[in-house]
Amino acid sequence: MKRLTLTRFAVCAAMIVLLASGCAKKPVAEELTTPATQGVTASETTSDADTGIVEESISDSTIAEPEVRGDDKLAITGLERIYFSFDSFVLGPEAKQTLENNALYLKANSSVKVRIEGHCDDRGSDSYNLALGEKRARVAQDYLTSLGVAAERQSIISFGEEMPLDSSGTEAAWSKNRRSEFVAY
Amino acid sequence: MNRIGQLLILLSLLLVLSPAALAARIEISSPGQQSIPLALTSFLPAKGSKTMPELALEIRQVLEADLDLSGLFDLIDPKAFLADARRSGLLSSQVDFAEWRLLGAEALVKGSYRVEGDRVQVDVRLFDTLGRRMLTGRRYAGKIKDVRRIAHTFADQVLKELTEESGPFNAKIAFISNRSGRKELYLSDVDGKDVVRLTDHRSIVLNPDFSPIGKELIYTSYKNGEPHLYRKEIYTGKEARISRQKGLNIGGRYRFDGREIALSLSRDGNSELYLIGASGSIHRRLTNSSAIDVDPSWSPDGDQIVFVSNRQGNPHLFIIDTAGGKKIRRLSFRGTYNASPSWSPKGDRILFSRLEGNRFDLFSIRPDGSDEQRLTFGAGSKEHPRWSPDGRFVTYTSDQDGKKAIFVMRADGTGNRRITDAGVDSIHPVWSGPWK
Repeated sequence: MKRLTLTRFAVCAAMIVLLASGCAKKPVAEELTTPATQGVTASETTSDADTGIVEESISDSTIAEPEVRGDDKLAITGLERIYFSFDSFVLGPEAKQTLENNALYLKANSSVKVRIEGHCDDRGSDSYNLALGEKRARVAQDYLTSLGVAAERQSIISFGEEMPLDSSGTEAAWSKNRRSEFVAY
Repeated sequence: MNRIGQLLILLSLLLVLSPAALAARIEISSPGQQSIPLALTSFLPAKGSKTMPELALEIRQVLEADLDLSGLFDLIDPKAFLADARRSGLLSSQVDFAEWRLLGAEALVKGSYRVEGDRVQVDVRLFDTLGRRMLTGRRYAGKIKDVRRIAHTFADQVLKELTEESGPFNAKIAFISNRSGRKELYLSDVDGKDVVRLTDHRSIVLNPDFSPIGKELIYTSYKNGEPHLYRKEIYTGKEARISRQKGLNIGGRYRFDGREIALSLSRDGNSELYLIGASGSIHRRLTNSSAIDVDPSWSPDGDQIVFVSNRQGNPHLFIIDTAGGKKIRRLSFRGTYNASPSWSPKGDRILFSRLEGNRFDLFSIRPDGSDEQRLTFGAGSKEHPRWSPDGRFVTYTSDQDGKKAIFVMRADGTGNRRITDAGVDSIHPVWSGPWK
């Protein structure tokens, strides 16, 4: 238990640094740009691990920490992703908290439009995951709309299991991949 | 002994000795259950032909792999072969059947080749050593680079002769692979050789299906940013976007006559099954549920579709009538995640994958829900099963050797073999009809 608390503290600290430095929305851009360079080289690239996708030390539990989330304004520096359970598109308390912060950001930046991407882990039918990813994007859109973000500013797309953040195939990787991303444009 | 008894003995002798004896032993439905001792000799150069041992070897290897996969044969070790294997005579009067029967061979394949420039002529014959006669003989002429196809074609012919139904080996398997760094559409022979990339979308291409008429494929691609359905003519390369409804346009599957496509569209805000025309016009919405409805697969008569839905909680298989009536029947009851159903070309069984522990395995079930059978065991997750067009074989993906790779096996789950490199992901295989 003590170890867990320490770990949490360390991850929270890392999280605060990340947020303060405005890195939180950067990974989204990285995911979108790295495959393009891959495509050009069209080489013998075989492993997903080579795609240069940056892993973050963010997990469900860290996002759940109220002391990070609190009422300080750190959280509205950018749009953050939300996470889901296996075969689920239900918004948990952490996801709702993140969406509330995302809504604050979008209201503070009224010219920004957002594309919400739904993603899944790679287990199961690809088609099912595309449909599930769409539900994950739509449930986020509906929640943002209910918080007062105009529906016209939001669009949704599902990538199913096609764009994992972590391809290592572990339980931790899967939970990282079951998410909705918020891409501002 | 009475006359009837004598007649019976005579009849059974006739059965054993007649050419029909071989064919009568084989049932189409259960490959791998019975096997005929088969001798497959090396192909010899015809009189006056250039000698090309590597060509002869390639023909023999392709034939051997196909005939082995068929499950109909026990291949006799060539090391045991006697003098007749080195004689080029292909007439039944020239074959020393007694010698082959000494080795236990009941069937014999002999062949020869003649090379002229870049062209080759291949003569190949299947003999019944008990009946001492030729069962089928073929002469093929083509370019040297076509010898693999020639061998596959003769393997199909052997199956046709012995089972009254042609094999599925002179065909193609289409699949998706990220070997270029992006997921693109590929085409290969059924043994994984002769791989050709068909798309260069530099995006995400998914889930192909062959047109039952003509050499065309449909698939989903994010080429224009959204998951739309495309059709490509394989040899002209001509591509058309045929469904671009708002949201998902995924899992397209042709009806047997190629005139209608079942797919999932989410234009209503949630994935529903639709039937569209071959050029994309919407014919009918089949489902109406707030649940996920995906992965349609047609019954061969086109009257029903099996699909995946979580309408009753977890992903399970359901069957719907395509003529409407809205009657939806649940097919799977076991497990917590059943996916990617594929209805057999003969209509008698449905393949699917099911989550078992933390990985998927392949199962088959009758359309009435009875006689469920598990087909795969052991390491790796097996998904996306599709039938060969004759219903005797299955192609699927497994990550048992590393990355997700394409495998083929017999419909009873035996004889599985990997046909693509395990170092790159290859998924969504689909087996074409005869590739003439």
